[in-house]
Amino acid sequence: MGGLIRALGGRAVQALLVALLVGAACFLMVRLLPGDMAYRIAASRLGYDLVDSQAAEAVRQELGLDRPWPLQLAAWFAGLARLDLGVSLASGEAVATALSIQLGHTLLLSAAALLLSLLIGPPLGALAGLRAGGWWDGTLLALSAALRAVPGFVIGVGLMLWLAVAWDWLPAGGVGGWREVILPALTLALGLAAASSRVARDAVAGVVAAPFFGFARMKGLSDAAAFRRHGLRNAAIPVVAYLGLQLVMLIEGVVVVESLFAWPGIGHALVHAVLGRDIPMIQGTALVMGLLFVALNALTDLACWLLDPRRRAA
Amino acid sequence: MALIVDNLAIHGSEGVLLRPASFTLQPGRPLVLLGETGSGKSLLAQAVMGVLPPGLTATGRIVLDGQNLLAMAPRARRALWGRRIAMLPQEPWAALDPSMRAAAQVEEVDRLVHRRSAAEARQRSAARLDRLGLAGAGRRYPFQLSGGMNQRVALAATEAAGAGLLIADEPTKGLDAALRDTAGALLRAEAEAGRMLLVITHDVALARLLGGDALVMLAGAVIEAGPLPGLLAAPRHDYTRRLIAAEPARWPRWTPRPAGRPIVEAAGLRKRLGGQELFGGLDLGIAEGQVTAIAGRSGGGKTSLGNLLLGLLRPDAGSVRRAGWVAPFGLQKLYQDPLAGFAPQQRLGHGLQELQRRHGLDAAAAQRLLPRLKLAPALLARRPAEVSGGELQRFGLLRALLLAPALLFADEATSRLDPLTQQEIMALLGESVAERNMALLVVTHETALAEAVAGQVIRLGGGERAMA
Amino acid sequence: MIRLRKKRLLGAGLLAAVAGFALLGPLHGIDPLRQDLSAALQPPGAAHPLGTDHLGRDLLARLAAGARLSFGFALLAALVSAGTGTLLGLLAALRGGWAERLLLGLADAVQALPALLLVVLVTAFAPGEFLPLYLGVALALWVDFFRIARNTAASVLARPQVEAARLLGFGPGHLLRRHLWPEVAPLVATLFAFAAGTAVTTVAALAFIGVGARPPVPEWGSMMTELLPYYAEAPLALLLPALLIFLTVLGLHLLAGRERG
Repeated sequence: MGGLIRALGGRAVQALLVALLVGAACFLMVRLLPGDMAYRIAASRLGYDLVDSQAAEAVRQELGLDRPWPLQLAAWFAGLARLDLGVSLASGEAVATALSIQLGHTLLLSAAALLLSLLIGPPLGALAGLRAGGWWDGTLLALSAALRAVPGFVIGVGLMLWLAVAWDWLPAGGVGGWREVILPALTLALGLAAASSRVARDAVAGVVAAPFFGFARMKGLSDAAAFRRHGLRNAAIPVVAYLGLQLVMLIEGVVVVESLFAWPGIGHALVHAVLGRDIPMIQGTALVMGLLFVALNALTDLACWLLDPRRRAA
Repeated sequence: MALIVDNLAIHGSEGVLLRPASFTLQPGRPLVLLGETGSGKSLLAQAVMGVLPPGLTATGRIVLDGQNLLAMAPRARRALWGRRIAMLPQEPWAALDPSMRAAAQVEEVDRLVHRRSAAEARQRSAARLDRLGLAGAGRRYPFQLSGGMNQRVALAATEAAGAGLLIADEPTKGLDAALRDTAGALLRAEAEAGRMLLVITHDVALARLLGGDALVMLAGAVIEAGPLPGLLAAPRHDYTRRLIAAEPARWPRWTPRPAGRPIVEAAGLRKRLGGQELFGGLDLGIAEGQVTAIAGRSGGGKTSLGNLLLGLLRPDAGSVRRAGWVAPFGLQKLYQDPLAGFAPQQRLGHGLQELQRRHGLDAAAAQRLLPRLKLAPALLARRPAEVSGGELQRFGLLRALLLAPALLFADEATSRLDPLTQQEIMALLGESVAERNMALLVVTHETALAEAVAGQVIRLGGGERAMA
Repeated sequence: MIRLRKKRLLGAGLLAAVAGFALLGPLHGIDPLRQDLSAALQPPGAAHPLGTDHLGRDLLARLAAGARLSFGFALLAALVSAGTGTLLGLLAALRGGWAERLLLGLADAVQALPALLLVVLVTAFAPGEFLPLYLGVALALWVDFFRIARNTAASVLARPQVEAARLLGFGPGHLLRRHLWPEVAPLVATLFAFAAGTAVTTVAALAFIGVGARPPVPEWGSMMTELLPYYAEAPLALLLPALLIFLTVLGLHLLAGRERG
């Protein structure tokens, strides 16, 4: 139990670090922006034709931009602590409202991608690991090495042109029914599966060569029974532990792939906010993405703890 | 019921690895294959089991209950595992599934091999574990059990399978003397229960314990065979004689030397590890010319005590004082794994040169020591992994001796070597003590070795201190 | 062993080919920014060996300029982060104490966010400019070098071989040269190749979504964004930058030799 509590405590610290890092970066961004911040914000709300110094002054008052910066920083973090994420400079909508809709989309895409990748990667890898050195092992190695050298957006463009444009099987972008999620999810899943298939391959090859697997067979268990009883769980431990690392790839992939397929999730919103200098929105999206990353990692910790008795005992 | 091995030979790509061997194994009478690493004894066992490494082929006949195993298809041989032939693993703590409770690993044999109901399997495995003194251990995972307990769990699982032929490959590897005796007794009980028992070992003491018949193997050939313990009492072959003489219990005792100036003095030493006290209130002094041994079970803190005396570790309480006359690098150490003491990438000769440069030593000193330690100069051009364990340990000794140490700490320095090599290295250490009047501190799990060499024996882990 | 060497040779060959291609640009002598709308989307021909894009710019010149940009960027980012990270990692392992704890905390803070998110956050200070992009990538990459150097060095320092060397009277210089460096160096070299690969993909991906380098800068990722609408008329123009990214990253991964672990 102590091990799990320590791990989850570490995740809580990580979540705090994410908030501090994102908050400080966004505050710094406001301070460093060229020109009069208040004027720019007013302009973004009213349009450059209608803005005047009076409107800018109103914004300055509203955001407290005339106070000394340590006070502003304190106010900034106080806002964060109250979960007050402010208002989008581009749309005037509350950031939290926008995020709650986007988060749903991102979660759907991430879950679909993770599920697909787990259906593709580990089984193919396990097959290779059972016959390490065989023809399928070699083929899979070459396939995954090639796939890992292709950035996610190139995979995405390829799939889009092939499955959506050339063959017209699937929609090329947007959101709606289940068909729209397939292309972006598949794009993410292929990249993830390229990596997880290797981990599963090594894990299964390691288990099959382990003395305890040999002993299970010598006890008289059939190969299938030995693998079911002693192979699966032991091979799953490193694969699940590796999921934690895969989450980095997943979150990074979400940012790029959502933009490519115009999938209205948090990654898409983040890129939009960066391009539009919509700092409250940058902060909100980066924060939620970072916290999502931490939360998924905490889930991975929990899964590892449940799977591996050595961790439970520690 | 019998196992008849008739002219069994094993060939690899480089030639013959096992020259034709023949023997018959009857139920109730153990057969021991005795020999050192590389003698071909494990290959023989693997051929019987049908798990020879790829590229090796066996010729001759292995007949089990009238069936020639070598003539059978691999699949048919595989079907014999557990039911007719079983093999106890070399290192039981690695042979049990780390993520499954002990009892489940015994139960599954009854359920999946013998198709018994879950309830019946649970009952039978509980009874088995009870009989082996493992009541209550079934709920635990292998990493929560000691090495000896893991071995008994593996034995219970093998028993459950019910094979008439039991092969045990180095069953006492890594076990200290007390556990070795227990394991030997358990195996003999298996034979007495009417099984055929084939045991592979380098341990003469285990062979004596088991009884039955023995084959002595050397360099891929059986050089001597006969009933135990007669064969050990009157060996005919020179190698067998040397092997038996290499048992520490038979070594001539070293003559104690008069104690000279004190080197280290420890008072009230205490060390804890993982919440458990290894030792406390320990007083100990080592003086010139003295041989001191620390003996006891594994995990008892023997190495920690040695490291405390060398100043490599701090005590939780008490003090270690080094005498003022001892040079800054006057305390040296030899390691259990000879490889562990060397930088893996560096050639031995190069390392030696750096040592000479660091301390402004005369190169002639090393040249004089090489033949004394039976080291060929050609070895200097090799890397640590390219020489044998015995050679590397002697090289470690050479390195230490160049600094003219007041005290040399040999930390299980011979426990990974073959018996003959162990005897040779210990003899060289004894000569060094006599010639240089240095002190020697030996850490060992073999009581017999400790008693043969040391004037002062410290027993850790339950036992009391004894002064000889 | 032989297979490993073959893999590395193949990787070096691929990189040499892309580097050779990068040098073709100046030899070819056409400005990658010069537009000629009358010659838009031309197929490969005598004047333009690889054809032109939608603004009539020479594709060979643009792709070669993109190669120089990607190579330079990746090399610089990987060198700086490898140097800083390895040095700090060795220092942390040798010094221990508060310095090590401070550096480990810093590494944790940097890796609290996925690397790309961190880079995006840094580029948000000035989207489209190279300096923040470069800073962000180096900031994300040094941690890997730091961790691998520190963990390897710490595990070597705990080994008997180091204890033996200390007993024999050798100091930190010897430990570094004989015991730490031989273990750390090959890992750092492998990581270097992977890090360079990550830098190439990151720059391309960010440019592709518009956060990184922007048109008209001849960058492979942004070229793909520009040419995506013309996939039907000029499939080759869209394929070539993708192919170059693939070959460069594959070359780097093969050069790294072993798996990333």
